[in-house]
Amino acid sequence: MERINNLLEKYFRGETSLAEEAELKSYFTSNENVNAEHEVYRALFMTFDLEKQETPGISISKVYDQQKSKNFWIKTFSYSGIAAALVLALWVQYPRQEKNYAIMHGRRIEDPEYAQKYAAKKMSDVNEMIQNGLKPLRNMEAIKENLRSADKNGTLKSEITESDKNNNINN
Amino acid sequence: MDPTQFNRQILSVSDRLFRLAKSILRNAEAAQDAVQDLNMKLWEKRSALNDVENVPAFLLRSMRNLCLDSIRQQREGDELPIELEFAEPNPHQQVEQKDLVARIRSMIDDLPELQRTIIRMRDVEGMDLSEIAYITSLTENAVSVNLSRARQKIRQRIIYEQKCVEETVWKE
Repeated sequence: MERINNLLEKYFRGETSLAEEAELKSYFTSNENVNAEHEVYRALFMTFDLEKQETPGISISKVYDQQKSKNFWIKTFSYSGIAAALVLALWVQYPRQEKNYAIMHGRRIEDPEYAQKYAAKKMSDVNEMIQNGLKPLRNMEAIKENLRSADKNGTLKSEITESDKNNNINN
Repeated sequence: MDPTQFNRQILSVSDRLFRLAKSILRNAEAAQDAVQDLNMKLWEKRSALNDVENVPAFLLRSMRNLCLDSIRQQREGDELPIELEFAEPNPHQQVEQKDLVARIRSMIDDLPELQRTIIRMRDVEGMDLSEIAYITSLTENAVSVNLSRARQKIRQRIIYEQKCVEETVWKE
């Protein structure tokens, strides 16, 4: 009895060791015959004992399920990103590795000398075609020029005739 | 730290983390959310746990800091009073909370955060003063002083309420 009183005083001063506190807890929670003067403190130690049994009430695995799901999406997006980057890199890189070539009449020509000669010949053909094609236009231009000068002479004549008429009226 | 090790470390202290969060936040649902929030944050920084000497104490300290941040943010938003220390129970509460265990829980919850955290770490979890000092970022002496104050307040409260009950019985 005296020991419990001393321990309680020490306890409320915050001076008890963990072992002494365990002794007090045992006295109040395991002992059916707690002394009447100590009864007032029984609920205190019972409360500590009950609080220790309290649990979250939900499974902590819920967190890891969420984490797993989060990781799944992170991995999916990461792998998709990597795949897209690889495809892009190949697409950019691939034409650079190819040789230059030209398609002539549906045939693939990779010999640059042959392709140049062929291109030069074709350019000369095109030039000749353009020159021939412009010939009728040049003739048309010459006709237009003649017509313009003829028209100009005609205007002059009509002006002279008009002034002659005026002179005759005045006279 | 691989997922299995991480699970083992967290699971070993998950109940204590919950009780600490509930004591600080005074709400079971908010405490569950806080524990999950902490787990998420720790999972992202799990490699850093390899360098921690006392993982359970580190986890409890992180839990307390997270809860205090949460209270601070809530206070900024709601502008609530800082602490409701030992609010006088009205007659209705006295009748309603006849159960002494529930009354004592309420008395502990009415203590300032530091005192209720310390008294529960010591008297519920049975933790060493040095561990509590690490978790609360105090000296062992300061922990001891706060523990003594918390216990004295609870004692006074229990005696006061006991007296009230006796007087009521005498009047009847």
